[in-house]
Amino acid sequence: MTWSATARGAHQPDNTAFTQQRLPAWQPLLSASIALPLFFCAGLAFIGLGLGLYYSSNGIKELEYDYTGDPGTGNCSVCAAAGQGRAPPPRCSCAWYFSLPELFQGPVYLYYELTNFYQNNRRYGVSRDDAQLSGLQSSLRHPVNECYPYQYSAAGLPIAPCGAIANSLFNDSFSLWHQRLPGGPYVEVPLDRTGIAWWTDYHVKFRNPPLVNGSLALAFQGTAPPPNWHRPVYELSPDPNNTGFINQDFVVWMRTAALPTFRKLYARIRQGNYSAGLPRGTYRVNITYNYPVRSFGGHKLIIFSSISWMGGKNPFLGIAYLVVGSLCILMGFVMLVVYIRYQDQNDEDEDDE
Amino acid sequence: MVKEDETFPCDLIFLSSSRVDGTCHVTTASLDGESSHKTHYAVQDTKGFRTEEDIDSLHATIECEQPQPDLYRFVGRINVYSDLNDPVVRPLGSENLLLRGATLKNTEKIFGVAIYTGMETKMALNYQSKSQKRSAVEKSMNVFLIVYLCILISKALINTVMKYVWQSKPFQDEPWYNQKTEAERQRNLLLRAFTDFLAFMVLFNYIIPVSMYVTVEMQKFLGSYFITWDEEMFDEATGEGPLVNTSDLNEELGQVEYVFTDKTGTLTENNMEFKECCVEGHVYVPHAICNGEAAIDMIDASPGAGGREREELFFRAICLCHTIQVKDDDEVDGPRKSPDSGKRCAYISSSPDEVALVEGIQRLGFRYLRLKDNYMELQNRDSDIERFELLEILSFDSVRRRMSVIVRSATGEIYLFCKGADSSIFPRVIEGKVDQIRSRVERNAVEGLRTLCVAYKRLIQEEYEGIYKLLQAAKVALQDRERKLAEAYEQIEKDLILLGATAVEDRLQEKAADTVEALQKAGVKVWVLTGDKVETAAAACYACKLFRRNTQLLEVTTKRLEEQSLHDVLFELSKTILHCSASLTRDNFSGLSADMQDYGLIIDGAALSLIMKPREDGSSSNYRQLFLDICRNCSAVLCCRMAPLQKAQIVKLIKFSKEHPITLAIGDGANDVSMILEAHVGIGIIGKEGRQAARNSDYAIPKFKHLKKMLLVHGHFYYIRISELVQYFFYKNVCFIFPQFLYQFFCGFSQQTLYDTAYLTLYNISFTSLPILLYSLMEQHVTMDTLKRDPALYRDIAKNALLRWRVFIYWTFLGVFDALVFFFGAYFMFENTTVTSNGQIVTTNTHMVFGNWTFGTLVFTVMVFTVTLKLALDTHYWTWINHFVIWGSLLFYVVFSLLWGGVIWPFLSYQRMYYVFIQMLSSGPAWLAIVLLVAVSLLPDVLKKVLCRQLWPSATERVQRSSSRRAPADAAPSPDRPLLTDPAPRPRRE
Repeated sequence: MTWSATARGAHQPDNTAFTQQRLPAWQPLLSASIALPLFFCAGLAFIGLGLGLYYSSNGIKELEYDYTGDPGTGNCSVCAAAGQGRAPPPRCSCAWYFSLPELFQGPVYLYYELTNFYQNNRRYGVSRDDAQLSGLQSSLRHPVNECYPYQYSAAGLPIAPCGAIANSLFNDSFSLWHQRLPGGPYVEVPLDRTGIAWWTDYHVKFRNPPLVNGSLALAFQGTAPPPNWHRPVYELSPDPNNTGFINQDFVVWMRTAALPTFRKLYARIRQGNYSAGLPRGTYRVNITYNYPVRSFGGHKLIIFSSISWMGGKNPFLGIAYLVVGSLCILMGFVMLVVYIRYQDQNDEDEDDE
Repeated sequence: MVKEDETFPCDLIFLSSSRVDGTCHVTTASLDGESSHKTHYAVQDTKGFRTEEDIDSLHATIECEQPQPDLYRFVGRINVYSDLNDPVVRPLGSENLLLRGATLKNTEKIFGVAIYTGMETKMALNYQSKSQKRSAVEKSMNVFLIVYLCILISKALINTVMKYVWQSKPFQDEPWYNQKTEAERQRNLLLRAFTDFLAFMVLFNYIIPVSMYVTVEMQKFLGSYFITWDEEMFDEATGEGPLVNTSDLNEELGQVEYVFTDKTGTLTENNMEFKECCVEGHVYVPHAICNGEAAIDMIDASPGAGGREREELFFRAICLCHTIQVKDDDEVDGPRKSPDSGKRCAYISSSPDEVALVEGIQRLGFRYLRLKDNYMELQNRDSDIERFELLEILSFDSVRRRMSVIVRSATGEIYLFCKGADSSIFPRVIEGKVDQIRSRVERNAVEGLRTLCVAYKRLIQEEYEGIYKLLQAAKVALQDRERKLAEAYEQIEKDLILLGATAVEDRLQEKAADTVEALQKAGVKVWVLTGDKVETAAAACYACKLFRRNTQLLEVTTKRLEEQSLHDVLFELSKTILHCSASLTRDNFSGLSADMQDYGLIIDGAALSLIMKPREDGSSSNYRQLFLDICRNCSAVLCCRMAPLQKAQIVKLIKFSKEHPITLAIGDGANDVSMILEAHVGIGIIGKEGRQAARNSDYAIPKFKHLKKMLLVHGHFYYIRISELVQYFFYKNVCFIFPQFLYQFFCGFSQQTLYDTAYLTLYNISFTSLPILLYSLMEQHVTMDTLKRDPALYRDIAKNALLRWRVFIYWTFLGVFDALVFFFGAYFMFENTTVTSNGQIVTTNTHMVFGNWTFGTLVFTVMVFTVTLKLALDTHYWTWINHFVIWGSLLFYVVFSLLWGGVIWPFLSYQRMYYVFIQMLSSGPAWLAIVLLVAVSLLPDVLKKVLCRQLWPSATERVQRSSSRRAPADAAPSPDRPLLTDPAPRPRRE
């Protein structure tokens, strides 16, 4: 048990600064005289930052519309009523009209938002096969068990892409029409549906299985689409670079959201006449209403938003910085008062000792 | 058969040796650490069997007791059968027993017969006997753990219940996008709920800091090296440094409230020096030896002829009445040396008093030469050799407190010489100048000298034979041998004639007084428990400043109890004490006021046993309670005439008193072992009375003065370190798991983890483990010198101050607050807004939405930074190692995350972390959020620290402040302290 005796060897302890616990050290002390300027500086810096953030966030415009179709909320309620209790819901389309009195400063991003949708539910979140999505042949034929009950179709074919996330892919679609002058024709605004996913997801993480005879359809032969899908995965888009597993809508959807209310990017408006933003005029959004949300008490929203250096509209950060900065200054003053009042007393105490 | 330098494989009865006299020498260094050679004796009747053939022909039976762990006690009996005579019965004692683990030395070979083997050997039995000691910190740690366990269970319960409340709406239980499997639907509700509960438990189990136990063990193990490495606790005289036998109690050293110290060898040097002797009232003081010619200073007039005879008898008595062995270094059993060779032989004895006496007497002209074939040889003043046949030794024990020898002189006269403590000799004396000697003894005792009285008795042959039979009967007894021997001794040692008394000085250890004073200033109560008599012990206490001049002494001694009943004495004392206790407690709070009236209590063994003895009417605790009250109000307590077991009793009494104070026992001898084992912390002095105490202790130090550094510096540091370690661990796990708990409310109570598996695993293992470990090894909130200079700082941490509920709750709430900040900070960042990265670094100008893993990673990043910076805020002692570890582990986190997310790891079935961290860092708001949230989390702690320091500074904080003010002045000389630059061992100053 006396390991220490043997450890020391010659019984003479090593005399180094470390063993004697006398290493040279910086011994800072968090006293009021240090903390006070710190608090004031931090407070001022935070308030400055907060102001900047607040104003840049305020400069961001947002335009949103709830098209869930609750009774009496616009023409989408027809679709909502039509789809009530029917699976799959019938194809239906509705529209949202809005007008802009002035230029909506670009670049403008089009988002959709779902509420009360638990993409972060564990059972939902694990129901995917990353290996299959990376284009692995064996996984294409044999999806992982986590995908169950969306692993094999009723006919016994492997589902591609498998799992609950893929099955519930958001399938409403939007098109934006612009009426420059009242009574004039509606011109379609080009929506850029590419570049909405993470670059790494699109280029690395999601890969299509190797083509068979140059055809993606053949590559997916022997698989079944998810039960809720109307078309197979290789027909998600006519663009060969945007179909299959690397369809950008699909990739965006597969990045599960953190909270039950979430937004996902639908498109960017940056082409043609609209690269500077949406000019004033009347707009119409044609909505293909497919996605049922009322069954779980959710809502669907469509949002136009401009973007600043700090991303989308985010008043929280600016306000938080302002609050914290003010608190710092306030506490700084409190401490200053305490410091002045108790300074003398402490000095006296020390003199006593 | 065992050969020289071999270790005995089992416990052996020593039958014969290659040496003619049937002895062998062994060293028990591996057993009890005593490296001196001990002589063991072969059984008388078998020592002739020296060859293997002889041994073959030996026919004998051995009876021995059941195996028991006491190394120094053995009773047995051997019956040797020979063809011719009746069987011979011989007693066997520990001198015939060779223990497993000991090594044979200086003897070619021995023969023995195995009696105890394997797990029954005394060595094996001793390994089991040590009981586990747990420190107060560990106990409160376990309590905190239970609290956290409750938190864990209640969290899991809340979430389970909430889950089923939430799921009561069918569209939330099973929305169309998230269908259950058929098996899940059909599962029993209770079973499902139970599974969910278990899943939540698994999810939240990280709140129980399992890694804390590992870290605490590592901290204790590594930290204890600092004690053994401490150069200031290294004693160059003996070449011994401190030993750490258990590393479990390091922090307990910072919590000691009562110190029980032995006097002899602990407070005092145990370096005996013969001072004077008194024969028949004539006092002899030996001076420095002048080449064999003793210079004797006689204070009184020269004694007459009769006195002269008595005087010589006295000297002979001292020369004969002992158990000293003479050790010649080179030839233990060689041809006898010329007694006049001038070479002083080294005397070896278990009792340093005896050595001092025999050496002192040598200066008075009588020299003990050696024991050969049962004849003791001594050289008298006229350089004649006198030979006495040693008939019996009635060995010393601590109950009788005396020993005797029976010798036959050359002229055939038989003497019994008896030597012992005055209290045990005087009642047995029937003749001699008792009063004169008694007064002299008492005077010496007051001066702090150890006194022994010497008496003799002349025996006639018949008497001796009676004695012989008596002793033999007792020795052969198998059962109750101890008691029978004691009874026999009692009968033999009576009707003595008093010869004189001796006085031996036992000097105080260096700096003993300084140490005791520092301990008292530190709020530690020092009790002295000694076997010595009242006067000697009190003198030593005055010398070491345990009692000061203004200390009012209260006595509960046998002498006083003869006059009053115990009841009266106790009540009177408690009245005296309680009368002043009001003012006393006030003084205690305000620190040390000079005019404080302090009390010292003196109690002796007999009185104590009266107090401890349960009374007939059953109210046993009555006196005890009263006694405890008195003791608690005394600044110093001295217990004299203590038997070893009584020492342990006292320790136990205090240990289990109302406040459950932490006790420390320090001693050097075998008689202190029981109290060392009993106390919370046992410290052994590696001293002269063997290594028994050091072996049984938790820590062993070379000198008493080292106790000061041990408690005030090491103990204080260890306590500060480990309490921060414990609190910090709980804190960081709350921070870790509470966001996870909150997240359940936003993910449908589906046990979704917030963090990636790698983060979950590595958080406690690598991201946040090293800084706290290094902190708990290196932290010095004030410097060592300050701690030593100002013992009162020890009061700041008394009574487990840093692990009180208030502190614990503060830390937990800090953890909860931080967790709320992390979670809701990130929540508001993500909620209803599009937190995006404009990813210009890696992508084209796109704006991508973050997912749940980015959310978790953001929380986690803020958390790792906050938790590490919180520790940085608490660190007062930044060596390069601290810098390296704290900044290093933050850097490691970043590098790891970059790597973890930067590669598609082929062994993972999911790639959910791919590029998550990098994408997060490419987003401006994420950076801003991290900075903000870290600042907000740290803010309350900074505020609390600053305000507390300003408003209610503790003594420690004041010292920190004043030393930091002085620091600029000291800065110049401090970097090159001599201790740092001078690697060579420097001479001690004292």
